[in-house]
Amino acid sequence: MAKKQYENPQLDMTPMIDVVFELIIFFVVTIKQEDLFSKLNANRPQPNDKPVEKVVDEQIEIQVGANGLVYNGRGVTLKELDRNIKQAASISKKTTVLLQCALDSPHRYLVDALDVCNKYGLQNLSVFSM
Amino acid sequence: MARKFTENPSLDMTPMIDVVFELIIFFVVTLKMAVEKDETIQLEDGKHGIELTADELPPSHLVIDIAKNGRISMCNVTITPDVVRQRIKDRKRRWGDKFPILIRADYRAKHKHVKAVMDACTTEGMWKLSFVAVYDRKSGKQLTP
Repeated sequence: MAKKQYENPQLDMTPMIDVVFELIIFFVVTIKQEDLFSKLNANRPQPNDKPVEKVVDEQIEIQVGANGLVYNGRGVTLKELDRNIKQAASISKKTTVLLQCALDSPHRYLVDALDVCNKYGLQNLSVFSM
Repeated sequence: MARKFTENPSLDMTPMIDVVFELIIFFVVTLKMAVEKDETIQLEDGKHGIELTADELPPSHLVIDIAKNGRISMCNVTITPDVVRQRIKDRKRRWGDKFPILIRADYRAKHKHVKAVMDACTTEGMWKLSFVAVYDRKSGKQLTP
């Protein structure tokens, strides 16, 4: 017996490879793709810099209401807001955007508005609550 | 018999490897990571935000969850805005005031609940906040109304 083992010392790899393939298939099938996340930066107005912001001439106001977004006193869809923000951003990227949120507005509208501002590179985003 | 054992002393490893693989599969399948976030929260799309990579999440970062019904939680533990303030205070003592605060608010959450958290942050002097949104829906899950 001992002699036979020395004559044929290498392992049979076939079952091992079989098992490894099974494992690969198992994990490929069961693996779940995870969502990727992003962050949208925003500032809260500081009580002492409010008067300073008033002096700044470049300023856009977006109202976030319970039923949608309001820009320049007019209800706008996301597409319309996109167009308006694009125009404003083409003038100056330093423009301050004031987002005034109603207390009962759903969070998604605020995120939508912040996303559009980020799309056109506006960085001075201030979130107010009314 | 005794002689035969000394002649063939090597163990057959095959069943051992089989069992170990079985065990690995068992534990991988049954292991459920500790829930560190509120799984009920659904986030709005934010394709133009800054992608959240490991670099964007230093050890000092703070995530605050706000569910649809206004439940505020951290690491899936329900808390009040006062506790949020306390946590921020603790973190400021340890990391200074340069740590990122990420708010994971459900897309249906009312602004007043988000405001409560934001006010807690501002009373502690944290003026810069970030909202978490979905950069890429790789899992294919869509928002449910």
